[in-house]
Amino acid sequence: METLLNPSKTPFLLVPKPHFFKPSLLHSSFNPRPHSPFTRRPLSVAITCKLKTSQGRKNDGKKNNNISKKILLSDSAPELSNEQGKAKAEESGGGTWRVIRKLPRKVLSVLSNLPLAIGEMFTIAALMAIGTAIDQGEAPEYYFQKYPEDNPILGFFTWRWILTLGFDHMFSSPIFLGTLILLGTSLMACTYTTQIPLVKVARRWSFLQSADSIRKQEFSDTLPLASVKDLGVILMGAGYEVFLKGPSLYAFKGLAGRFAPIGVHLAMLLIMGGATLSATGSFRGSVTVPQGLNFVMGDVLGPTGFLSTPTDAFNTEVHVNRFYMDYYDSGEVSQFHTDLSLFDMNGKELMRKTLSVNDPLRYGGITIYQTDWSFSALQILKDDEGPFNLAMAPLTVNGDKKLFGTFLPVADTDSPDVKGISMLARDLQSIVLYDKQGKFVGVRRPNSKLPIEIDGTKIVIVDAIGSSGLDLKTDPGVPTVYAGFGALMLTTCISFLSHSQIWALQDGTTVFVGGKTNRAKAEFPDEMNYLLDQVPEIVESPISKQPGSIGG
Amino acid sequence: MIFSTLEHILTHISFSVVSIVITIHFLNLFLLVDEVVGLYDSSEKGMIVTFFCITGLLVTRWVYSGHFPLSDLYESLIFLSWGFSLIHIISYFKLKIKKRKNNLSAITAPSAIFTQGFATSGLLTKMHQSAILAPALQSQWLMMHVSMMVLGYAALLCGSLLSVALLVITFRKAIKIIGKNNNLLNQSFSFGEIQYMNERSNVLLNTYFLSSKNYYRYQLTQQLDRWSYRIISLGFIFLTIGILSGAVWANEAWGSYWNWDPKETWAFITWTVFAIYLHTRTNKNFEGVNSALVAFMGFLIIWICYFGVNLLGIGLHSYGSFTLTSN
Repeated sequence: METLLNPSKTPFLLVPKPHFFKPSLLHSSFNPRPHSPFTRRPLSVAITCKLKTSQGRKNDGKKNNNISKKILLSDSAPELSNEQGKAKAEESGGGTWRVIRKLPRKVLSVLSNLPLAIGEMFTIAALMAIGTAIDQGEAPEYYFQKYPEDNPILGFFTWRWILTLGFDHMFSSPIFLGTLILLGTSLMACTYTTQIPLVKVARRWSFLQSADSIRKQEFSDTLPLASVKDLGVILMGAGYEVFLKGPSLYAFKGLAGRFAPIGVHLAMLLIMGGATLSATGSFRGSVTVPQGLNFVMGDVLGPTGFLSTPTDAFNTEVHVNRFYMDYYDSGEVSQFHTDLSLFDMNGKELMRKTLSVNDPLRYGGITIYQTDWSFSALQILKDDEGPFNLAMAPLTVNGDKKLFGTFLPVADTDSPDVKGISMLARDLQSIVLYDKQGKFVGVRRPNSKLPIEIDGTKIVIVDAIGSSGLDLKTDPGVPTVYAGFGALMLTTCISFLSHSQIWALQDGTTVFVGGKTNRAKAEFPDEMNYLLDQVPEIVESPISKQPGSIGG
Repeated sequence: MIFSTLEHILTHISFSVVSIVITIHFLNLFLLVDEVVGLYDSSEKGMIVTFFCITGLLVTRWVYSGHFPLSDLYESLIFLSWGFSLIHIISYFKLKIKKRKNNLSAITAPSAIFTQGFATSGLLTKMHQSAILAPALQSQWLMMHVSMMVLGYAALLCGSLLSVALLVITFRKAIKIIGKNNNLLNQSFSFGEIQYMNERSNVLLNTYFLSSKNYYRYQLTQQLDRWSYRIISLGFIFLTIGILSGAVWANEAWGSYWNWDPKETWAFITWTVFAIYLHTRTNKNFEGVNSALVAFMGFLIIWICYFGVNLLGIGLHSYGSFTLTSN
């Protein structure tokens, strides 16, 4: 147990120094109970590994005295002793106590069940797919119309289903969140009951003492004239950790690949936790501010959950100094910019920054994003009088998203049907003018100072004033989520590594080699053949190593 | 002008070279029992030429448009094609050291030609001109996010196609066996049993299927299974990095790291399905046919994610959207 926690004590690299041990110790460490706690769990790999090694060791212990004390220590697996302790506690306690003790374990074993976890993931995938298929966040009337009862989709799916199950807001519906929580608990249970014990098993390394057990491995080969030491050197060159003791060799590579899935699960839990924090502790808000006006952050931001607590930074006042756009030569918008100043309550400027899409402003935990824009007003001179500010209104014609228009009445403003000049704009760059009859007159750019004469009225467009559409948010979950992201990327990459184990045994001049790997099963035989080809052939008389030690 | 001509030439060269490569593969398959080494080598060289042509194509576009060539669907398709040929080249060089034949080209070469054919076909003619970059795309994250996503798609498509091949072989075998041996049929013939036979290879194969053909077929399915697992794992890494870098980017550009935007959601669905695939591999009972079925599902879902969402043109990822109606 001690060596398990402290691996530096266990291995001795390529030192064929035999250690002798006391048989009594070995027997005491192998309790005949280890089967029961494991058969209860879905731990097939662990069982086979463990039983095989313990069985082999036991036989060896009886037949030869060739196993080092250090190895022996590592064999007393900590989880075994824990299990025994727990089992004893159960036996000593009363019946109710036993039920109470068993209940969490039962729940755990149900939760860590792989088919259940797969089912949960499928459910989540299906719910998300439904969530993209049904338009989200519409008014109930929309669903009445789109999913009518007299014409159900697939014969049963109507608006009743959508509204009862909350599929109109899928990603915050109790069903979806419940499945996510269930998946989260499954993740935890699986990590606890399956993955961590698996690692403990994987970290215990063992020599195989019989040629038969080596030949039973997924990959096996026999080298007729070879030395196990040469093999060890070659394996070390290929990046394996090699342990050599007498005639037997054990080597492994990519152990991190076995641990990494735990990291993946923990990273997922971290992301889930961070996302929960985001959902319950954030503030969000959006505002469209005309150039030159102010707003206070706290007025815009609204809490998203019960954990949302405002900070001092909420009192900051934001002034939009300028809003402008960059254009490509073709006239399309290339970038939006907003020049913002932040003032504290006393009117002192705290910060000034020009933000754009992909370049938000961050201050005191609050982030301001450039997300939208609008046309606020048009400044014109009418017959050299003014300037007048004409408010621009968004128009929706043929589903056009960005079209703004304003109207300048001319002549008699008191008559019932007022006539005037219409001005339309798609962006802040060019204004299209129409006369009283609605006929096209011309296009003018703001700042061009070029007058245009319409129905006897001379008009100069002085300036186009835009409004900046800003999104504000605070999100306390971001650091946690980002930590989870980093961990997830890293551990997913490490998970690609395959944990390969190689055993070899010298029998006279013959070396039996066997090995297995958990992921790279396709490449492993190739790699092994490639390595074994490099093992030199011995010509001289073989090194015979304690022939009695090769038993079983 | 010179750039577009160059691009044109490169497209044509790569397209025709891949066609030749595929023809050689078919020749190998149908005409020659033992493949001629020279032909095999030339097909490998053809793939290398293709790889460099597509690389040149992408670089050309990058130079003259001034931004990373992944801003619309056409470019991403070309990049996908490049991803296929990259996977091919890597596996080729990896196996060349060990002097083994590259079986993957049966999957990668046709995939490359189909994606490229689709990209250059008439369906998307309007998109060939590289367009300007929308404000939200003007970020260093574009390179990381989109390249990782498309590489992930390429690897996942490759891996799941291998699984589909496995399914086809297994189903054919199942039908054959049912047709041949009636006594076997009596013994509750399910897929679980086939798998079981797969695992207990030698013994069962010797007793049940006496011919060596079946043994080779078994070996082939096992190889397909293992390679598909390996390549899907690789693609899963790319997909994970792609989704997460996209989330970080979204937190810079859109105001939140996760918006449940349709494309985002479908990428997550893809991720979930392949996570399920990887989990099925941890259990011996699910290996083989069951996991291949999951991979096949993932294959369909990638296409929904990659095309379906763009076809609808919904959500925030509307840059890559296109319409199939020509007007």
